[in-house]
Amino acid sequence: MSAFDALNGVEILAVDGIVAVGALGLLLADVAMPAGNKRILGYCTLLLLALGFTATFTLDLTGTALGGAYVGDGFAIWCKRIFLAAGFFGVLGGMDETARIGPRRQGEYYQLLMMSLLGMTLLAGARDLILLMVSFELMSLPLYAMAAWGGIGTYPKRKGPLPSMELPAKTKWHRPAEAGLKLYLVGAVSSVVALYGISLLFGIGGSTRFDVLARTMNAGPVMSLAVAMIVGGFAFKIGAAPFHMWVPDTYQGASTPFVAFLSVAPKAAGFAALVQLLLGPLAGHTDTWMPLVLALIIVSLLVGNLMAVPQQNVKRMLGFSGVAQMGFGLMALLAAGTVAHTSGQKSEGLATLLFFLAAYMVANMGVFFVIEAVAASGRTEDETADEKDSDDTLAVFRGLHARSPGLALAGLLFVLSLGGIPFAIGFWAKVWVLLGLWTAGYGWLVVLAAALSAAGLFYYLQIARSMYMTPEGDLPKVTARMELGLAILLLALLTMAVGLFPGPVMEAARVAVGLG
Amino acid sequence: MIAVNAEVLQLLLLLSAALFSLGVYGVLTRKNIIGLLIGLELMANAVNINLVAFARHQGGTAGQVFTLFTIALTVAEVAVGLALVILLHRSRRSTETDAAAQLHG
Repeated sequence: MSAFDALNGVEILAVDGIVAVGALGLLLADVAMPAGNKRILGYCTLLLLALGFTATFTLDLTGTALGGAYVGDGFAIWCKRIFLAAGFFGVLGGMDETARIGPRRQGEYYQLLMMSLLGMTLLAGARDLILLMVSFELMSLPLYAMAAWGGIGTYPKRKGPLPSMELPAKTKWHRPAEAGLKLYLVGAVSSVVALYGISLLFGIGGSTRFDVLARTMNAGPVMSLAVAMIVGGFAFKIGAAPFHMWVPDTYQGASTPFVAFLSVAPKAAGFAALVQLLLGPLAGHTDTWMPLVLALIIVSLLVGNLMAVPQQNVKRMLGFSGVAQMGFGLMALLAAGTVAHTSGQKSEGLATLLFFLAAYMVANMGVFFVIEAVAASGRTEDETADEKDSDDTLAVFRGLHARSPGLALAGLLFVLSLGGIPFAIGFWAKVWVLLGLWTAGYGWLVVLAAALSAAGLFYYLQIARSMYMTPEGDLPKVTARMELGLAILLLALLTMAVGLFPGPVMEAARVAVGLG
Repeated sequence: MIAVNAEVLQLLLLLSAALFSLGVYGVLTRKNIIGLLIGLELMANAVNINLVAFARHQGGTAGQVFTLFTIALTVAEVAVGLALVILLHRSRRSTETDAAAQLHG
């Protein structure tokens, strides 16, 4: 027994190491670099993320590390791929906007993003309550700062205090600040609630290690309370109704490329945390958490689909649509839990969840990037994103097919994918989730979800109608800048390619969770 | 040092539950964001009391280590929160929650 035994197997943390070292390296490079060409930092981030993504394929990351607190399995590796890909596209599509918001401080943004990604990648393999909470917070804290980041540096210089509390009718610099604050307040409170539940779990089980907890915990009222607090706390993070109130406001207020990242990566990480806990130490106590998850699913589907319809701001609409999508993700979790409970087997549920998260990532980021491309082309250099309130209304898409055929086509593809129309990637994700749920014996829920999804098509198609069936009037032509255009192109290709040939990816997801 | 037997543990858990409830009350009722953060801090301290109580009751160091981590997490969280409050104050000259209520459908 040497002092270095704890480091055994630490090589499976290679990807996390790349991200961690990259984040610190970016910090140093940012300080050392002259102010003029900070954009290079963005390309460095892209390179690092691409490196990490490749490493998940080329290196063997399976095994145990940190004395059993960290386990690398197929699920964790697949999750890491989703996070790194989301980070890659988030940086690629947001490069112009980041450079425009804070040309001299873009380094901060990339560094925060890398730190957040580090939290996510660690979270994917955490098998210890301490590591779980620390990595969860490491993921969340940078996001609060990033959401408010658009509000930095543009506030007007004033000498002395303002004469009164009266505000100018249009304050242009505070929408990101408000978005960040709302994300922060909800996120911080939900973290503490989840933490309280976790402290109770620790008390019942007497250990922080998941494998010990699975043996030692006994069901009881305290455990039900703990599980309710944990599920509630994480439901806030993934934005499932009725814990979704921050979603539309934050989406509307924060800068669009950041929202593209926020709407997919942290949610996938929230699912990873839920899977880790609910299908780990709590797998034997499904009766404590299944009713809660079921309630979340039903409320999310109802609220998400119905509240999205009247929204005029596209980002708010997509926020509510995201709430409904989270209902689908939870359905995969429910199916996985049911099968694990009744037959004790590994189930397809987890594979469907992974495939669903990947599909949601691709299509959702795509839609937000199309919004950004349209909004950015009507923006002048010194104008902030929130100067015009009309920036993100449905009206900006009017006649997009004539203003930019490529963008309109990509937008249509993403919207159809989110709506679950064949043959886009989102269709297979939804069908697979519903099939799994049907097998698990929730026929009525499948019917409800299918019906509400059909209702959801209404608002998705509103975007398509605005793009293709309304005259463009005097709106200008749109051209996406290079990086943003590349991100949209790649995402559109993925949506189409996997939509047409879903087999290999589905098979890979099945293999990742130990099936087939 | 007081030995934490089942009775003392019960009392400590009640204390932490009361503290947590106070914190939740503060978070729900405060109009000032600083007050809200204080409520948050109370909730976090309830977690710490829970962890320390369980750790002393069960023996072992895991719980105390966990507490150190949660203290650090809470500090980091509140630091980010205060930064956001400063940002809000710069733009709105106020730290009331009403000052940040422009986003709605």
